[in-house]
Amino acid sequence: MSVVQPFDKLPIPNSAACLLVGSDEGLQQRLAEALLLEKKSFKISIHLATSLPLPSERDHLRPRIDLIVFMIDIKSKYSLENVEASLAYVDASFFLGKVCFLVTGVGRVNSCSVEISAVWKLGEAYCSPVLFCELELEGIRVATAQRLLRMLQICAGHITGVSALSFGLLMRNSDDN
Amino acid sequence: MQRSQTSKTPKQPLQVHKHQTDLSAWQKGGRIDPEKSVQNHQSPNDQKNGSKPDSLEQALSFFEKLQDSVSLKKDHALQKHLTTVESIALQRGLPPEGFAILLNVALSGKFADTLNTHLLKSLVPASVIPENSVVSSVSWLCVGKCSGNVQLLFLKWLITMFDFIDHKEQIYALYGFFFSFLQDEKMCPYVCHLLYLLTRKENVKPFRIRRLLDLQAKMGMQSHLQALLSLYKIFCPELVTITLPGKVKTYFKNSEGPWKAAINAVRQRNKQNSPVPRLLFLGTVQLRSRKRKWNTQLIIPANSTNKNDLEEDREKNHVDLYRMNESFPVEQLQTFPQLLQNIHRLEFPSQMGSVLTNPLLLHYMNCIKDESVFLRLYYWMSQVLQEECTWCVADNYQHEEEFKDFLETVYKTECFLQEGFSSCEEFLYRSLPLWDGFSCRSQFLRLVSWIPLNSFSEMKSHLYDPLAQLFFTSSLYFKCSVLESLKELLCNWLNWHVIHLNSESGFQVHSLNTTLSGLVNTVAELVHFVGWISTVALRLENNTTFLLYFILDFYETVCDMYLGYNLPLLIMPPAGIFYPALLSMDSVSLNQLCYIMYRYRTNLVAAKENELSKQKILQFKFSRQTYQEYNQYVIAMVGCLWTSSVFQKDVHPRGLRMDDELLKKTAVQEFKTSFNIVYHPALMGYAVHFLQQAWPDDTTFNFSLIKGKKWNWYLEYLYAQGLKGLKVFIESSINRVSQASHSKAGSVKA
Repeated sequence: MSVVQPFDKLPIPNSAACLLVGSDEGLQQRLAEALLLEKKSFKISIHLATSLPLPSERDHLRPRIDLIVFMIDIKSKYSLENVEASLAYVDASFFLGKVCFLVTGVGRVNSCSVEISAVWKLGEAYCSPVLFCELELEGIRVATAQRLLRMLQICAGHITGVSALSFGLLMRNSDDN
Repeated sequence: MQRSQTSKTPKQPLQVHKHQTDLSAWQKGGRIDPEKSVQNHQSPNDQKNGSKPDSLEQALSFFEKLQDSVSLKKDHALQKHLTTVESIALQRGLPPEGFAILLNVALSGKFADTLNTHLLKSLVPASVIPENSVVSSVSWLCVGKCSGNVQLLFLKWLITMFDFIDHKEQIYALYGFFFSFLQDEKMCPYVCHLLYLLTRKENVKPFRIRRLLDLQAKMGMQSHLQALLSLYKIFCPELVTITLPGKVKTYFKNSEGPWKAAINAVRQRNKQNSPVPRLLFLGTVQLRSRKRKWNTQLIIPANSTNKNDLEEDREKNHVDLYRMNESFPVEQLQTFPQLLQNIHRLEFPSQMGSVLTNPLLLHYMNCIKDESVFLRLYYWMSQVLQEECTWCVADNYQHEEEFKDFLETVYKTECFLQEGFSSCEEFLYRSLPLWDGFSCRSQFLRLVSWIPLNSFSEMKSHLYDPLAQLFFTSSLYFKCSVLESLKELLCNWLNWHVIHLNSESGFQVHSLNTTLSGLVNTVAELVHFVGWISTVALRLENNTTFLLYFILDFYETVCDMYLGYNLPLLIMPPAGIFYPALLSMDSVSLNQLCYIMYRYRTNLVAAKENELSKQKILQFKFSRQTYQEYNQYVIAMVGCLWTSSVFQKDVHPRGLRMDDELLKKTAVQEFKTSFNIVYHPALMGYAVHFLQQAWPDDTTFNFSLIKGKKWNWYLEYLYAQGLKGLKVFIESSINRVSQASHSKAGSVKA
């Protein structure tokens, strides 16, 4: 089984690749569309996976992944378990700022079955930021896509003077350290 | 006087009520009267069905005379009249005078339960229900002649019809009677609901609280008891010390009973025909969906207090001394003079939330400074905000809009009272970590600006951390709005400090036992936080002028904290902000920076003078470091703008100092005289214009021509272009030995 590596391939100039991992394919698709619709100054390729590891046979076709977004649906315990299981197939150096957890379904807190604190803990354990959103609402979906694009831009090294690692440190809560 | 138009009977043969002014008084209220313009015409329907009122009249007089126990099945006259009453009631509602008669029959216990139930079920008002009919039925209830079922049905009826009762003064007086019914296990839920509607502050007594707690101990946690207890807690948080669960779905079971359809039918009818009863319907709470709680509670209930003699008041136009103890009904408070006249006998409405939309009551709140009033408001608000914490709901767009309106109202109230609400603060701390940065954005950020002063540890984890995460990942505009609201926050804190400095002996502000050093620390942390996120943001956004404007705007407040707000604190902007502003391509930023540095200088000089003259023993003084930092910045600025020596003289560790060797490599000739007010990238455009005007024939753009007298002209030219900040900076920080080009940097020495 292959582990996703952050630096095993050469980067492609002026482009960035993002990997969305989550069990809800419909939402994933909609988020990906929102990401593609955003105006941006670089080429973007989005890869969707319901879980990791990625199949190794098509590995040579994949570009270098700059950012992995793990999507956790607050309404389904399975999505959290799925993400936790997938984390094992990510190279440790990815967690130096190139991973983020996206919690979806905040608009339905009443039917919440994942404990928010569990997600916080996950974020802390993997030194990665946790973003919250409701992808079912278009406005928030667009806003979330914009936020992810900014992170992707940084992770792909398109912003001078800010590396993924330094950005990751900025995003960490100050009382962790 | 308006009553005759509202009641459905053309004549009023049976009873005339004395309190008839209330409807008109309320109509004048202006608050809830969008229907005022509708004409008070009699509907054509009424005339068409002219025969019916007569039969109703007969039926009513029949019931009035009904004496002995009769059987419904055998007595045909009774059956006929009952049918008349039922059908008219369900179609059009009953006139006010019918209630006393019918309630009398139904609750006397003389007749069979079937009749009583039928009668109670048909008690649907066409307009209002007179208070005394209710009072007399309560006395029947106390006698206890009617059966348990009828009692229950009556209570349900009373709850449903509560808002149709024309006055409640006497019903309020019966509070104790209702309270005593609590011991009946079957009636208890309904009595609780009724008490919930009736309770006013003076009803909350320790013995009642004890009684409720006893009942709760006996019967377990019942939602209706909790409801009443939480209401008591809203009124007197100091008396009810137990903690109540914040999230209760429904306090009371649906007690609308069999009347709902009939009320709706009558309402529909009245909507088309007569304007006045519709006003009443606007005040009925039960008919609204519970989800809209925050907005419904913003309306002062129709009969929130007991007096209805506004007309008299107006006529007398002076304060009646003998009525000092009576309270003035807040729903009739419409003008500022009224507020002044009645300020000694005002009473807050039972729904504290309604205060939010009433500027007069807010004035009153501001002036009485009663701790418990704020407590009540906070308690109510935190309940609402906790229940409705979901700012975004996936399947209900309407919900978000309404919630936005509510937050907006809360913000406006905070602005009005110049006071941050702790309940809002809690709400923000709870919500910000989960916030997506999009929904209710402007409302959230505006509320941030009213967070009360607190110890830093709390602010750091609850406010700064989540805000920073959102800030770094969000758009330029989001960043600017965050900076804007943090500036507002700083201003609000500083204003608070100034006000409390001036009224030191004044009232104690709730929960803020801040010392001066605590305040200084908290403000310093905020300024450092903004400095940090601004530095990062400039990096992320590639030193955008737009962002720089908001950052410098924040520092325009910071640089004046000592003189402007009497706070012994000055913090220089970090180098990550100073240098991008100094080397900005935009004259606006440079001008802003010059102004800020001038204000820093004024503040530091004033502090130094105070320190030297020792007029008063200073608790705080600025550290040497602040002066040092200021001097380093000024040297860099003077080097950049005046002496062209910034590459040689800048001593700041993150400054512009460069070796001559390196400078030579840039291939700029005369680099020692080529970076000043003429060559600065933000000002070069002005220099070009100046050259064109001064030497119209010269097309070589020989900047070195600007020297000597021309240099002064150039300065005048710049000042005339609106660069006032540059003017005050140069005039204060640069000692010009002569009016010649020879000049020298001056700075405050520590």
